[in-house]
Parts: sequence; structure tokens; C-alpha cells
Amino acid sequence: MNFKNLLPVAAVLFLMACNLTKDVEIDLPEYDRQPVVECYLEPGKPFRLLLSRSYAFFDKLGLDSTFLENTLLDGAMVTVTYNGQTDTLKNQLTADLSPVKIFNYVGQNLVPSTPGTEFVLNIRLADGGEITGATSMMPLVPIDSVVVEFSPDIDTLGRMLTYITDNQNQENFYRRLLNYSSLDSFPDQDFLVTDRFSQTALIAFGTGYELAEGDTVFNTIFHVTREYYDFVESVQLAVIGNLNPFAQPSPIKSNVHGSANPIGIFAPLVYDRDTTIVRK
Amino acid sequence: MNYSALLSFFSPAIVLSRTVVLTALWTTAGLLLFPILGSTQNATVSGSLRDRQNGESLIGATVQAPGLGKGNASNEYGFYSLSIPEGKDSVLLRFAYIGYQTQTLKVLPRGSIKLDIELVPVGSLLEEVVIEANGLDEKRKSTEMSVSTISTREVKALPALFGETDIIKILQLKPGITPGSEGTTGLFVRGGNNDQNLIVLDEAVVYNANHLFGFFSTFNSDAVKDLKVYKGGFPAQYGGRLSSVIDVRMKEGNSKKLSGTGGIGLISSRLTLEGPIQKDKSSFIVSGRRTYADIITEQVNRANEGKPDYNKIPRYYFYDLNTKVNFTLSPKDRLYLSGYFGRDVFLYKDPTFDFRFDWGNATGSARWNHVFGPKLFSNTTFTYSDYRYKIENQLQGFSFSLSSNVKDANTKVDFYWQPNNKHTVRFGGNITYHDFITARLKAGSDDGRVRFEAGRDYNGMEYGAYIADEWAIDRLKINYGLRLSMWQNNPAFYANIEPRVATNYEVNNRLSLKASYARMNQYVHLLASSGLSLPTDIWYPSTEGVKPEISDQVAIGASYLLGDQILVTWEAWYKWLQNSVDFKDGAELFGNNELEKELSIGRGYAYSPLELEIEKKEGRLTGWIGYTLAWVKRGDFPEIDNGAWFSPRHDTRHNVSVVALWDVHKWKKKGKDKSLQITATWVYSSGYVSWLPSGRFTFQDVPGAPFLTTVPYYGPRNTFRYPAYTRSDLGIVYKWKKRNRFENDLTLSVYNATDRRNPYFITIAVETEKTAFGEIPVEIKAKQVSLFPILPSLTWNFKF
Repeated sequence: MNFKNLLPVAAVLFLMACNLTKDVEIDLPEYDRQPVVECYLEPGKPFRLLLSRSYAFFDKLGLDSTFLENTLLDGAMVTVTYNGQTDTLKNQLTADLSPVKIFNYVGQNLVPSTPGTEFVLNIRLADGGEITGATSMMPLVPIDSVVVEFSPDIDTLGRMLTYITDNQNQENFYRRLLNYSSLDSFPDQDFLVTDRFSQTALIAFGTGYELAEGDTVFNTIFHVTREYYDFVESVQLAVIGNLNPFAQPSPIKSNVHGSANPIGIFAPLVYDRDTTIVRK
Repeated sequence: MNYSALLSFFSPAIVLSRTVVLTALWTTAGLLLFPILGSTQNATVSGSLRDRQNGESLIGATVQAPGLGKGNASNEYGFYSLSIPEGKDSVLLRFAYIGYQTQTLKVLPRGSIKLDIELVPVGSLLEEVVIEANGLDEKRKSTEMSVSTISTREVKALPALFGETDIIKILQLKPGITPGSEGTTGLFVRGGNNDQNLIVLDEAVVYNANHLFGFFSTFNSDAVKDLKVYKGGFPAQYGGRLSSVIDVRMKEGNSKKLSGTGGIGLISSRLTLEGPIQKDKSSFIVSGRRTYADIITEQVNRANEGKPDYNKIPRYYFYDLNTKVNFTLSPKDRLYLSGYFGRDVFLYKDPTFDFRFDWGNATGSARWNHVFGPKLFSNTTFTYSDYRYKIENQLQGFSFSLSSNVKDANTKVDFYWQPNNKHTVRFGGNITYHDFITARLKAGSDDGRVRFEAGRDYNGMEYGAYIADEWAIDRLKINYGLRLSMWQNNPAFYANIEPRVATNYEVNNRLSLKASYARMNQYVHLLASSGLSLPTDIWYPSTEGVKPEISDQVAIGASYLLGDQILVTWEAWYKWLQNSVDFKDGAELFGNNELEKELSIGRGYAYSPLELEIEKKEGRLTGWIGYTLAWVKRGDFPEIDNGAWFSPRHDTRHNVSVVALWDVHKWKKKGKDKSLQITATWVYSSGYVSWLPSGRFTFQDVPGAPFLTTVPYYGPRNTFRYPAYTRSDLGIVYKWKKRNRFENDLTLSVYNATDRRNPYFITIAVETEKTAFGEIPVEIKAKQVSLFPILPSLTWNFKF
């Protein structure tokens, strides 16, 4: 979320604080629940996928034994085909603990890291609905250097500059995440960027003078596909559109399709992460 | 309804070659002139009509020869001309204007008679000098329809948000015009978009007539003389926008004596000085306005400087400066020079962050009025317009800037020719050079190792030529004309013919029936990322890929004079829009050199069977009641909902406005003149249309990214309608004056007097519970956010 979007959101929060809000009942059009697919191909890790379902906007969720059944879509046949082989993902609930991520379909094979490897996702739902998607592996763009500089005006505050070298022969898309303390924390920076207008191979990502000595900074640069860039941007615009009266909402731009009318993303997860403890 | 068939009926293929277009124009000119030149010779009375107290020209004042049943009105420069049959007997002439004493004169009708008339304002010293357009009966008799005028008297007296009187917000109270959003100066005229209004200040285009993200307009009511809006039936001299023409005229300056006005309000102060440079020959006016919230916030920041937990308040202010001088060079020549400069500035600066965002307009006009003779008058104008915004951020060693700019340089000549009382001919032309810088982005390190650049420059030439005649045939008046407009932005070239016709049939001395048709073309388009006006919206020219927008509007109506003081006007209209421009879903506006790829081109229509206005302009109680029943649609955008038709945000079905100004009492006490006036407005509008999500899903995202428990899923556009909007405002104006001293008034303005919570925005609140999988949303609630509660404000105004 950039500065342009922060001002109206702050204004809405201010209005809420001024008691200018009230609960209202509104009728929305009929909505048919849709399957939601999240499948990130992280080199060296097993093929994993979260298959869940969307809700009508005002549906209530009960946190009882039916919660998982109501949310996750089980009983589907999920396969990923690449390099002439097919990995069938087993319907099994697993989780990473830090940061917490859950999956309900897990494969046997490890995701290959070779850039350009093509992957095809096929899902047949229990009700016969079909979902397909395709993507290819991205090359890693490493972080060249991370520089911490302290303010000449306030010497207790520092900033962090992160440099990468961009391949200017093709259009590249990046996602930048900056977390303080832990990867489970809400990111201080989360934005998408394209190199379309970069006049130099060197690209810098910076912070303001906001770091103190001893801070731990998790600094991640994802090299992403155009489809992933469009999907995440549309998710961010949809979220902002719901908070900001000046913003135009966006429909979700998925790269999975099929008779099941899915929402979702099938994309490689290629990133370089630097962890720095700020020192003078 | 098959709109394509209807549209094709009204719009035969219009993009023509230059030869065909010019031939058509001159042929039409010949057809116009043939009946005019065939008329007989008369004596002609001509001259100017002005205010005796300050020398301001009177627009729309009437000159009549009651014994002959002939009459006419002064044009926008106060010039009039009346032909009467030559004879040996004197003819009585009557000069009249609302709020002024009627003046009568006898003239011997022979040859050319020049009469410059000064009318005296009526009433006591405390009354505002009422400068209003046509009297109601003149309005009824005119071929002009779909026209509204706003007087400065109404603007200054009516209640206003934060006490900031605003001529554009009063305009929103007229039928057929909606604001698009509460509190803003948006203008959605007869279903058109906010960028489809040609707003001109002394004939120079104002591209973004807003301050503070649209909450206030750029027009300082102390400097404004007159505002007229055309919602349809556009005269041929206007072109370039589809839905309305808003013609704002600045005061000329008091040519009799030095005078001033000013005021101190809740958020801004104003000061205007005007006076003669050479009495009755030349005058000046300088008017300024500035907000001062930043002066208070800067003091707060200073008081808290150094406190560790204190977050500095950003600085924000806006200001306007209007200036004008005019010179009477000779009895036949008058020169006007006027300018406007306004800026909004948003600043934040501390040792760690340096941010500046400023935007604003600058306009300049030079106009030369020349009277060739009693029947021919000309106005030659040079205008310059500049709208720009710039966002700058400096951070040691790095900088960022984003800016856009649109500049126009325009030359225009208009002729006003009245060969006889049956014909009034206007003809002229203009050439405009447009220069656009769209979303210029520069970012990088000071040492040049890192550099981002984006943005493109465009330019275009816009040409216009027109001729129109108003022909009076007994009870029927017909104003028929043609405008040729052309646009060149290499390699794109467009030429379009825009027919204009308006008629008035006077059934009797109370009832007139009217009809009009007008085609308009728009060659510049506002790329707005939402329905609201933001300073960062970009103006974009017509190109090979983005064709000119076209509108066709037909209107019929009737005006009935009830008694002597009330005019009831009914109109019904239908408007078709072609080549409408909208963004594709999720379009990228900034840092994009290929903006056209983000656009979708479609169509639209709007219609109203009932647009009603009941006006009362004279007496102790004045005001109007307006009602509009209308439908507005957009569609056929291939990339938006697969071309489905949808309602834009401003498709509000019913709109009602009631505006009342009541002069309660005038009295004298202890040598002071005093008066009390109560004003009120009441508005009702069906709810705005909104795009709300139909579903939601959970997005856990990649490691390090936030777990989004509620991502809205947006289905078809604009399927939800907000609850209806109602607001009542009240004003009390108390004036007093000691003889030969300042005139003062205290104006109490109560915005939203009933403290009603109107819907501004609906947002979603999510109630979550913690589980092993994180925070899970268990209940979603809709929350209506309102913008303004009851807001009283007090303004002190003075005049000397």
C-alpha cells in the first residue's frame, strides 16, 4: 500500500473515531461459492497447494467442527505435470509453523529450480468441476548488497538500502517485502514493482530513517511472473477498494481457469532473503 | 430499446474530410445569410448597459420599445443593439434589469443612435447590488433552454460548508446537476461525467476547478460577477465538452470609486480591492483568498517539537489570486486583462522525510471588445490555461517526483451582428494549442546509479469555427447554427460537424414551448481512477486509438409564467454518448507509458422525462424548487464486464432541491441600517450507485506477506444503491452599517442542520477469532461511514 492510498484510509479511520459510522444491513446479489487455489512452486520444497472455498460476502463462519469442512475443499484429484512427469498431490492437511502457512494437498516430488521449467496444474473437484493452470520457473535475482546508513541529523536512526541487478533485456516483475522482528509480523513494506521504466541495471529498495540499532530486518525480493504480479495487485486493489472511497475496486485477476470457475494463483516462488541486525 | 438504431439516426458518419467539412460550413453560412440580408433598413439604437454605482457591465439587461413591441437584451459584455423603424415621431425606450430602477428615454428613430446607459440599483444601502441574468419573462421568451444562472447574491447568502461560499455548490442545487459525492464540487450534468464540463473563467479553460480534493471550488465569490451554465441546447460558439458549459465571468472592477470587500471565516479569509485607474475609463480588481489551518498546525508542531512520541502534523493550505484590469481605449474599444492563480500545497518535512504535493491552475485572458458600428460587435480573445500537479519526495541521496501538466494557448474571435430585429447572428472561430505531460515519473539516486523514468508528452491543435442565427418569426424564434470542430494530433486528425438548433414558440404571453438539439465533440479526456475528482487525475488527448467523445442531446420543454414572479419550467431530454472512455478493471495509471492499453472505449446514454424548476427571483422571498427524474447508463466497454451495461455512480433516480432566501426585516436603529435574512436549502437524492463485493475469500499469500482473512471478490459493476441522501442547511445573515462607514455582516451557516448521518461510503468490518490457523473471520458487518455531522460556522464579511 503506497502513500497515495494511506491518506484516504486514515481519513476513514478518523471518521470512524468521530462516531460517524453505523452498522447497516445491505442486500448483495446472489453469490455462488467458488474454489480458491493457492499453489506456489518453491524450488527444493514439495509441491504444495491450498484448495479452499470462497464465501458469500456476509456469510457467518462457525468455529466448530464443521469449520474446516466448510472452508477447505477436500476430495479433489490434484496433479502437477512438468518435464514429462506428473506428481499427484495427496489430500493431506500440513502446515509450516514459522511463518504459519497451511496446505491441504502435498506432492511427493521436490520442485525443480531450473528457470524456464514449465508446470501444468490440473484439479478435478469431487463434484466434477475442473481447474487448470500453467506457469514456468523464474530465475533467482539475488540481493547484491544491503547497506545501513545512519541519519546525519538524528544519529540514532538508520535506513536500509537494498540493491539488486536487473536483467534489462526483458521485462521483470518483483515483489518487495520488509519485515521487522519476524516473518510473521505485518510487513512494513509490501509492494510490487516492474523494471519497465528503470534506466539502469541497478535497482535500489530503501527505507526511511526509521531503524534503530539492534533492529532485526527481514528483507525479501521475489522475482515473480507477470501473472502473479497482476494477481497480487488485483488482490491489493480489491482490499483497498473496500476501505478507500477514492479507489476503484478491482476484480481478481486469476491465472487458474476451468469449469469450476476458480479464483487463484499458480506461480513459482523464487526469492532472495537477507536478514540483518542493524549495527552502527 | 435499440439505442444503436436511434443513435445512427442522429449521427450519420461524422468524420469527414477537411474539404467536405469546409464546403458544408460555407454552404450553411450562405443559407444563414440569405434571409438575413434580405431584410429592410431601420434606425439602430446601440450602446452599453452598466451599473451606475460601480460601472460593471450588465449582462442580459433588456432594452425595449414597448410601443413597437420590439426588444432585445445586452450580451455578455453589456453591449446591446435594437433596430426600430425610421420615422418622425419619438419612440419610447425602456431599459430594465432585475434589482435596478427601470430607465426610460425618448429617441428620434433616425440613423444610428448611440446610447450608453447606466442603471441605478434599487433599495437601501444595505441591499446587495443584484446582478442577475435575464428576468423570468425574458428567460421564458428566449430560445435558450437548459440554462441556469447563479447570482453572487444567492451565493453569498446561502448556507455553505464551513461557511465557504461556493458558486459551484450552488450550481449543484439546480435540476439536472448532481455533485457525485457529498461536500464536493463535482458536477455531473444530465448524466455526463465530471470531465465533460467546459468550465471557463473569463473564457480561459479551468481544467481542475477544485481545492482540497474537490471539497471547495477555485472560484472566489468576491471576484465572480456572473455564472451561467448550459446543460443542453448549446449555442454554436461553445464546443469541446459533451455535457455542459459553465461560463464564469470575473468582475471588472469598480470604475467609479475605490472599494473593497472581505471576510474572515472558519477556514479562510478573503480580501478584494477594486477601483478606478482613471475614473469611468479604466479599473482594476485584485482578490485573494487563503486558508489558515496550517498556521495553527505549525504552532502545534512548534509547541511539541522534540517530544519523542509526537507525530508532526502535515501542513496544508490553498490560496487563490484573481486580478483584472480593463481600459476603455476609445468609445469603440475596450480591453480586459484578467488572470487567476491558485495552488493547493501539502507539505511534510522533518529530518527523516521531505514530502511536497502541490497542484493548481493558472489562467490568463486578454480580451478586446470592438464596436464596428451599431449592428456589429466583436470580441477577440487570447487565453492561456495551465493545470499541473507535482509530488516530490527527497530523502538524502535519493529523490522521487511525479507530475502531470496540461497547457492551452487559445486565440478566439467572436462577432455579434444584429442586422435587424429579426436576426441576431454570431460567428467566429478559435485555434487552441494543447500541450500535455502525462504522469511524468522521475526517481533515483542523486549519483545516477539508480534511475527510473516514465511519462509521455503529447500535443494537439484544436480548431473551431461557427455561425449561428437567431431568427424571430412572429411568435416563433429559432436559433440555428453549425459548428465545425477539428483536432490534430499527428498522425490523428478528426473533423466533425456539430449542428445546433433551439426553438421557442410563444403560445401566449405566459406559455412558451421549446425544443433543442445539439451535438458536441470532446477531444481531451480525463483519466480518473474513480468517480471523484482528484488532483492526480490525468488529462489525455484524442489519438488514433482514443477517438473524440461525441454527445447528441435532444430536449423539449415548456415555460409558464405564473403571476409576475414565478416561472415554471419543464424539460425532458435524451442524451447519447459515443466513444466514452473508462479504465479497464485494475488499470495502472501511474508509471505507465502506454496508458491507452489501460483504457476501454464504450457508449452511454441518459434520459429524463421530467426536469422541473420553479423559480422566483423577485420579492422578499426568492429561490427555486428543482426536481429531476433521470436514468443514466454506461456500457459496451469490451473489457468491463464483457460489455454489459451498468449504472455509473451518479445514476441517482430522483433529485429534489428547495432553495429559499427570505428578507425578514430591515430597520434603522441608533443611526445604523440593519437587515436580517434567513436562507435555507433542502436536498433529497436517491442513493448513489456503488460497486460492492459479492463474495470474499481468504488469501494466505507467500511467507512474510500478511495473511489476508477477507479479500473482497467484486462481481458485476455497480449493483448496489446506497440509502437515499437528505440534507437541510440553514443560514442567517445579519447586516449593519453606520452611515459612511463599513458595511458589515455576520453570516451563520449551519450545514446539515438536522445532523443526519448520510451515507458517504460503506466499508466492511470483520470480526475475527483466534484459532490454530490464525485469525479467522467469523462475522462480516457493513458499516456506513458519514462525512459531515451538523457543522455550524460563522463568517464576518465587510464591504467599504
